[in-house]
Parts: sequence; C-alpha cells; structure tokens
Amino acid sequence: MIWVEVLSRHRDVEARFRVAGPEVFIGRGYDNDVIVDDPYVGAQHLRIFRDESGRVVAEDIGSANGTFLDGGKDRLRRIVIDGTKPIRIGQTLLRIREPGHAVERERMARPERPILPVALALALGAMVIAVSALRIWLAQTGEPRVSAYLTPLLTAIGSVVLWAGLWALLSRIFSGRSRFLRNLLIALAGIIALLLYDEFGRFAAFALTWPTAGTYQYVAVWSILAAICFLHLREIGPARLWLKGAIVTTVLATAIAAQTLQRSEAFSDFGRQTTTRLLMPPAFRVVPVRDQGAFFGEIARLKTRIDSDRSEARPDPTNQ
Amino acid sequence: MIAVIDGGTALAAQGASSTAETIYAAAPQRLLQIRTLVADAGRQTSIGSGFLVAPDGLAITNYHVVSQVALEPKTYRLEYVAADGSHGDVQVLGVDVPNDLAIVRLEKRDAPFFTFDKAAIRGDLPKGERLYSMGNPLDLGFTIIEGTYNGRVEHSYNERIHFSGALNPGMSGGPAVTAEGQVAGVNVATRRGGQLVSFLVPARFAELLLQRVRDGGTRSDLRAEIAGQIAEWGSMLYKSFGEQGFRSIALGPYRAPETAAPWFNCWAQTNAGATPRPRASINSTNCSSDTALFVATDLNTGAIQVSHQYVKTIDLNQFQFATLLSQLSQARLVGGGPFRKWYTPERCHEDFVSAAAAPDHPPLRAIWCAQAYREFEGLYDVVLIAVTQDDGNEAMVSRLNLQAVGYDQAMALGKRFLEAVQVSK
Repeated sequence: MIWVEVLSRHRDVEARFRVAGPEVFIGRGYDNDVIVDDPYVGAQHLRIFRDESGRVVAEDIGSANGTFLDGGKDRLRRIVIDGTKPIRIGQTLLRIREPGHAVERERMARPERPILPVALALALGAMVIAVSALRIWLAQTGEPRVSAYLTPLLTAIGSVVLWAGLWALLSRIFSGRSRFLRNLLIALAGIIALLLYDEFGRFAAFALTWPTAGTYQYVAVWSILAAICFLHLREIGPARLWLKGAIVTTVLATAIAAQTLQRSEAFSDFGRQTTTRLLMPPAFRVVPVRDQGAFFGEIARLKTRIDSDRSEARPDPTNQ
Repeated sequence: MIAVIDGGTALAAQGASSTAETIYAAAPQRLLQIRTLVADAGRQTSIGSGFLVAPDGLAITNYHVVSQVALEPKTYRLEYVAADGSHGDVQVLGVDVPNDLAIVRLEKRDAPFFTFDKAAIRGDLPKGERLYSMGNPLDLGFTIIEGTYNGRVEHSYNERIHFSGALNPGMSGGPAVTAEGQVAGVNVATRRGGQLVSFLVPARFAELLLQRVRDGGTRSDLRAEIAGQIAEWGSMLYKSFGEQGFRSIALGPYRAPETAAPWFNCWAQTNAGATPRPRASINSTNCSSDTALFVATDLNTGAIQVSHQYVKTIDLNQFQFATLLSQLSQARLVGGGPFRKWYTPERCHEDFVSAAAAPDHPPLRAIWCAQAYREFEGLYDVVLIAVTQDDGNEAMVSRLNLQAVGYDQAMALGKRFLEAVQVSK
C-alpha cells in the first residue's frame, strides 16, 4: 500500500490517495491510478514501485517537462523516495509515503483557560485608557470639557481594535486561525511600552535635564512598532522567523533613516529643533541646581558651536 | 460745501502758503526721485526721494531707499529722475545705517542745491516751527507738505524729529526745510496707525555723513561697511542698555528686573476678566525697545524685549500648572527676517540654575537659545527664559530677548538678569 499526497504551494496536503497495489501510475491520463489535472504534467508521467532492494522509487516514464525534487533544478529520471522531500512534476508537488511512515508524537492540548487572556486583555485595556485619560487631565489648562477626553480615547480604542483586527485577519488568511485575543494583547502591550517611553522621555528631559531621550523618541517609537509587528508576524506562523525578523528590521532601519533625514532637512530649513520643552512640578527635579557660573560656562561653550555654524553657513549665493 | 472749506483754509493759511509757493518754486531742480531697478530687467522695484547738497552732484537720501543696491550691487542698480525729466545713473558713496541715511553721487554738475539750516544743526529749532517736507509720494509727482516741528522723539534710541505732517511712501529721503528753504531734516518714516505722525532724521547726521564721505572715511566695500556699522551700533546699544541697568519691580512675591532705559515702551496685561474664567491668573509686563534698525528690505534688527509673567494657579493642580508654564516659556527667538538668508540655526542650553543662595534667589529653570547672523561677524540674537522653581502653584516666567548683540555682552546681561529674579516669602 502506498499513499500519494498532492501538496499546495504552502506544502499543505490538498488531496490524498490510497493505492493498494505495489505499483502506482501518476499522470494526466485516465489510465493512471492518480490523475493530476496539471497541463504541464504528462499523460503518463510517473511510476512508483519497489525496487529489488525494497526501496520505494519514483521513475519518470517519458514526460516532456521532467521530474524534479522540490526546490531542485536537476531533471531526474529516478528518485528514491524518503517520504519527506516532495517531488515536483509540472507545477504539482507530490509526496509519496508508505503506511509505516513515522508520524510526530501526539501533541498535548493546552489546558483551556480562556479566562486568563481575556482578563489580561481587559486589564491592559483598562490601564491604557486610564493612563491616557490621566495624561489628558494633567495636560488640561483650559476649560474642562468631556469631548477633550472622549474624542482621543475613542480614537485610541478604535485604532487598537482595528489594528488587532487587521492582524487577526492576516493570521486567518495565512494560518487559518485568527488569534484576535493574542493580537490584541500584543497591540496593548505595545501601547503601554510607547506610553512608558514617552513618560520616561519627559521625565528625563525635565528632572534629569537630559533631553536626548525626548529628541530621539522617534527611534524608540519605530523600534517598539517594529517589535510589535514582529510579534504579530510570529502569531501568524512560527515558520521562517529569521526572514520575518529581517523584513521588520529592514523596514525599521528605513523608517528611522527616512525620519532622521527629514528632521535634519527640517532643521536646516527652519533652524529649529522640534523639541518642545516640558516643565513638571518643581518637586520632580532630581539633578542638583547648578550655580550660575557653571551654567554660563556651558553657554560660553555654546558660542563655539554657533560660530562653527556660521563658518559652515556660506552666505546665500543670491546675496553676493 | 467743499469750496467753502477750501476758501476758509486758503484764507487762514495764506501767509504760510505763499512761503510754500516760494519754496516749491525753488525746490524742484534740487529734488530727485531715486529709483531702484532690477539690473537685468531695467524695471523699478522701489522708489524714494533725494536732494542735492553740493554742486558736484552729491545728494542725500535714506539708506532704506538704496539698501538693495548697497547690499546686492550685482542684482540692482539705481537711477535718478529730476523734475525736468532728465535721468541718469546713481552711485552709492556712503551710508549711515543707524540714522537711515545715504550719500549718492549723480552725473549732474552745477545744479542748484540745498544747504543745511544752522539752527537745526545745533538742535535749537523752536518747537512749533513750520517745516515743509518734499518728495514724490506714491510716484504721483513732486509734492510739498506743510507740517510742524515737534522736537526730538522721546522714547527713541536713535535720534529722530517728530514732524506733524503726512509723509507717504516714496517721500523717504526727501528734505524737510524751514521757511527759508534750508534743510532741517530728512524724511524717514511714518507711524502706522497714527495720523500725521511722521519722523525726520535730524540734519546734523546728514551733514556729518557728508563730511565723512568727503574725507574718505567710509569703506568702499559697502557690505562690510554696513556690517561694521551694525556691529558698532549694537555694541553701543547694549552698552547703554547695560549702563541704564535694571530696576526691580514686584510681581506677587517675586521681584523682577525691568529695564531703566528711557527708550522702552512698557505695557502691563492681565487675564483677570477673561471669559471663560481663567484657571490660573497671569499678570504680565512687557517692555519692548524703540530701537528697531532697518538693515534690508527683509531684515530689521536691534529690538530688545524684557517681559515677565507672574502666574498663580486658581484651580489647576501642580501638573496642569506645569503644563501651562511649559506653554508660556517656549523659547522662541524672534527673528527679524527670513532664517535661511540671515541666520545660523538656533542652539539652546537649559538647566536648573541658582543665581545665588536661597532664600532670596529661587531656583530657576533657565533656557538660553542663540543664533548668529550669517554675515555679521560677532552679532547674535539671544533669548533667555527663566521660570522660577520654588513653588508648584505659582511661578514667574521671565524673558529677555536681545537682537544683534555681542555674545559676551549678552552673557553679562543674562547674568545680571538672572541675579535680579528674586523671591521674598
């Protein structure tokens, strides 16, 4: 008995035929045991049989397009079947297996506890909403209005659900399972990371007088976004993780490079950093207050930098 | 109706008008229209007036009338048009940027010219004296305007004469003469929003510049000359600003430095009666100097600004209050012209500073931003902002804006400014 499996391009089994005899004929013609409706396959294409030493062998019986191993470029007349590597005839992938082919061990089902991820998603969602509302409240200096909270919060909730939904859809298309809850958890965790970084940047700029974290916030934002995308891609399927990682890293590097370029061009156009200087309550200060001499020492050093800007900036040619 | 008014005016002002007629009869051959033309196109881009002051073709006009040619001689050229329709090339010999004057030479020999009024040069022309300002307003033809001499303009750093008469665009650079037809001042500007409030440059400066040009005391490279004059003027301005010093004013529990120089206009502002009801009270004072200097059609500089905002929470919590302070304390350099043409990029430094030991001197969050002028060596625009950090519910935001200042001068002024921010609690 021999099993013949027709595989999809993703190497999933599309059809499976059980042939009882010792010999199997495969081709487009109706005199075969397994008929393949592929115009690039010969009418009588392949014969599977057991040779003298008992191995299962596939033999090309006179096709025009030939027989190949999956991924191979060499046309082969005879192939010894090992049950794992597919054979390609025309545009069709075939896998031949014997009844004694070893299969993987039975996988243990995870204990079904859907309560935990649901609770986690709810908790993270509530945290994101609470933190966003708090930030809006603390930044509100004008007349308090409900719409000031409602609009951004609804937009945020809508975007997160839409984002997780899109990834769930992709996952459904490519792996057959949508995993909406897991995608939602990834998105929420990403937003929390973004919020944490933003708070850190603001705190560092004020309390530590270290504005660099805020200046390069866009790098952190893109990195977090890339990490989220990678996790979403991993949810779709664990195959070829290195390729997914490479794609995400390339996109990340391109995005950071493009934004860095755009910022540097904007700086040379307008002569201003886009940094907003944020103040916090005085109690948040961590670094010591410097004495005036040290402060003006730094300012004197700034002069050197401005003077080198001047020597670099050649007068506009139209002025000459 | 119109005829009646006309008749009345004519009767009342008959004596003066006849003087005007005499002056006007003699003036046209001494007056000029000065046009700036795009060299390649040969079309005018701006017009002004001027007047002859010597038999060898030397004439006086405003610097701002010839600034384009002085700064970009390859792109622009000058042409004069006389009352008799004759015209020809004009060459800029010297400029006085702070007083907005220029001496030009034209190929017009042995024409009649104006002389300066001795009393006006000495500065003892009596207030209320009639002056007759001449020029070519709006390219409508030569015009004479009667007005009154009102003495020196108060609150002006550069000496200017207040002239009550209607100067219009195009009259810049024309003379204002006494009843005897002698020059007392040069038309320079009008104040927007005021009626009949116009300014003249005292004749003294025109005579001095004329002397300097005759003695060869000006550089032939006009661009370098202009840069040098601005640097010198700026250095004098900030020296004087420093010497006049700061006087202390009270804002809530804070004491803030306000300039003691007379050439500032100071205003106070409050949001107390605002609708919707403000959530923090903001009381501010703002002093801006009357020192703006015309450098080019797209660059004015030399303005100084000192302002303080005392902010006290009404129902904002400390975080919201800090957010409000962030909005009030953004460091924006107020440029006097397009950035890429005139300035280098802005560079900033910020830190917590204490000018001296507490309790008198509150800790400050100070931000210093500066940019240099691309072409004027040694000149910078600087803004210094200090926010008091001694209380989470009230604060003072102090701001010092200096245009066209030397870096060391700016640092010295900045130190004094920070030292003068004090608190008494």
